[in-house]
Amino acid sequence: MPTQATANGSPTIHLRAVDGYIITPDGASIYIWGYRDETGRAAQLPGPTIIVNQGDTVTIKLTNELRENVSLMFPGQNGVFRLTNRGAVPVGPIYENGRLVSLTDYVPPRGTVIYQFVASQPGTYIYHSGTEINKQVPMGLYGVIIVRPAGFDPLDPATWSAYGPETDTEFDREYLLVVAEIDPVLHEAVRLGKPYRPSTYRPRYWTINGRCAPDTMLPDRATYLPHQPYGSMIMAEPGERVLIRYIGAGCDAHPLHPHGNHTRVVALDGRLLRNGTQDLSHKHFTVLVGPGQTYDQIFQWDGLGYDPVTNPIPTPIPNLRNQAIGDVGWTMWSGSPYLGQKGDIPIGVTSLNVTGEYYFMLHSHSEPQITNWGEFPGGMMTMIGIFPVGTLGPEVGRLQRNSRANSTRERR
Amino acid sequence: MTFVQVRYGATDSFITMPDGSVHYIFGFVDLTGVPENEIFARRGKATLLAPLLEVRVGDRVELTLTNLGMPQRPDLDDSHTIHWHGFPNQISLWDGVPETSIAVPVGRDFIYYYEPKDPGTYMYHCHFEPVEHIQMGMVGPLIARPADYNPANPLFKTAYGAGTGTEFDREYFLLISELDPVAHEQVHRVQEFDWSEYRPAYWLINGRAYPDTLHTAPDGDLSQQPYHSLIQANAGEKVLLRFINLGFEEHAITILGLPLRIIGRDAQLLRGLHGEDLSHWRDVLYFGAGQTVDVIIEPQQPALYPLFNRGYHKNTNAGATPGGMMTHITVYPAGTLPPQPGPGF
Repeated sequence: MPTQATANGSPTIHLRAVDGYIITPDGASIYIWGYRDETGRAAQLPGPTIIVNQGDTVTIKLTNELRENVSLMFPGQNGVFRLTNRGAVPVGPIYENGRLVSLTDYVPPRGTVIYQFVASQPGTYIYHSGTEINKQVPMGLYGVIIVRPAGFDPLDPATWSAYGPETDTEFDREYLLVVAEIDPVLHEAVRLGKPYRPSTYRPRYWTINGRCAPDTMLPDRATYLPHQPYGSMIMAEPGERVLIRYIGAGCDAHPLHPHGNHTRVVALDGRLLRNGTQDLSHKHFTVLVGPGQTYDQIFQWDGLGYDPVTNPIPTPIPNLRNQAIGDVGWTMWSGSPYLGQKGDIPIGVTSLNVTGEYYFMLHSHSEPQITNWGEFPGGMMTMIGIFPVGTLGPEVGRLQRNSRANSTRERR
Repeated sequence: MTFVQVRYGATDSFITMPDGSVHYIFGFVDLTGVPENEIFARRGKATLLAPLLEVRVGDRVELTLTNLGMPQRPDLDDSHTIHWHGFPNQISLWDGVPETSIAVPVGRDFIYYYEPKDPGTYMYHCHFEPVEHIQMGMVGPLIARPADYNPANPLFKTAYGAGTGTEFDREYFLLISELDPVAHEQVHRVQEFDWSEYRPAYWLINGRAYPDTLHTAPDGDLSQQPYHSLIQANAGEKVLLRFINLGFEEHAITILGLPLRIIGRDAQLLRGLHGEDLSHWRDVLYFGAGQTVDVIIEPQQPALYPLFNRGYHKNTNAGATPGGMMTHITVYPAGTLPPQPGPGF
């Protein structure tokens, strides 16, 4: 059952900092720390996506089930308080015996702390631990907060926008891509209680929504990825406005490059790219997502080539015996140049194509990051699927409050 | 509107760094107009960079890719592709991603077809095992001219079309990348390379490291590195610099003494939704892998201006200084240089 915010203006979310394991496509099992909500049993990566409405007074309870102090930071939110018996006190850096032990109010093991803030601005934000940050954040203690603009109604597509009416941020479907890195040496050191020197940070895995390719393309809530519930396959139909939110949760920068078309960057760090009436949005084919940054973008694919009757561009297919298809044993190609058509695929090659859709890769152009410990394909890579008109249901590309799903129907 | 037909071969060769070290590369070789019975002789003659692909909005472009195989690696039966990085509204058939369409096996051809819609600075590269094939050198610059481009008329000699404020007198492309000699050595010796160990030791502009970046004359040692990056202009001229990052790192490029007017990024004129002018000035151009940036400089004083990487350790060749990602801009008194015949000359 969803336990996330309700739209009554004062949602309360209960997170627990816990440990657990994730798996990578090359067979590794990696110990993590992460957040879970009431629906989960162990840490999930990333933490539950929190969706609230602009103007909500958001209360987040954090219970610490780890062996050391832990906390929550809300970059981009103004006026974060901790609720105490004596009322609300502003959070701040904690010094003990002259040493900075946390960037924000923390909770010791087995305790609970309550944070509260007013979500005053719509947009895409990150939350993560503010304690032992160079260990706890790479260990997986991070997640995303989405603040809906005033007037947003999950049941009325006419109200769907990232930043409200008249902001040119309307969308038909939306996707969240949290990017980060994993240095397995850190994770193993933490699991064994051994020391780790942060200056030796050397990622071997690069993740989107806590998964490495090709797992990124698996559905949300895939049962065989129990602690990595969010997929990152982007699916849309031609002409649809697709809101893609990038969040940099790691320590490195990642140049994310979608094939198929440019994206129009409409907001940075939860702030609309507008100066009064002046529009500052811009189209890019690669966006460099730095640590802690969030980018909101509109992607649209409305290219030629999807009409075999008018045949707007010549598309001769050579004899496939002379071409290489599915060198890795599978292909996502339909065998046809046309959208909605399927053609022949050589015998012995598995086509994962459903209904003649086009696939466009979306990946880090710092190409060592699209490997799993050096082995291509892997890492920070997913696909954008452009499906024939009328083939995608309304539930595709819907972010909902239930933490265990990224794209099924949002509930009130 | 022109029907452009080009043909590139995918093969291998060697390149040379200024310290005399020789590095094995994969790459493309220009086969345009080469008779069929001479194609085989182009094996092992890849160049870094791959040939400049220059097209115009409205053109019909047929690009034939021929996989010539790797004479140095006869065991290697990798396919290859051409990915036009940034082509708007691409269909998957021409996108050059083996996992989502077609790749070209050894000894075979495939014809890519494009109708460029948006002017600007792009890049192309092989997308088969891209971490290996890009680092090994299968990269090239790509310029799409606006439909109204006319180099004979200053009002129409522009990056993004007449009236966009992007007029220029000369233009240069600077494709920047890195070279990890261990990766190249491992690939040459048929050994696995762990790409998470990627650590470049050379930083390149147009496939060369300083001071080779300055060598304008044909040079035997640089036979497979055809593009210098010595930028030359007359005082008072507008010089368009098309930066392409096809390395794997972020880079910070600066020109001592010349501020940079950024007029385009990622093959898009810097304009807001309602036509707002978003062009801006920078002293350091910091950009990431897979991005392109169009810059106009207007040097007023005849002088020598150094262009280098503000990440100073990247101005080295395997640790020796000076080297790496550095070149010069030589500015002559007005009227000294004749008009430029084409980009980069």
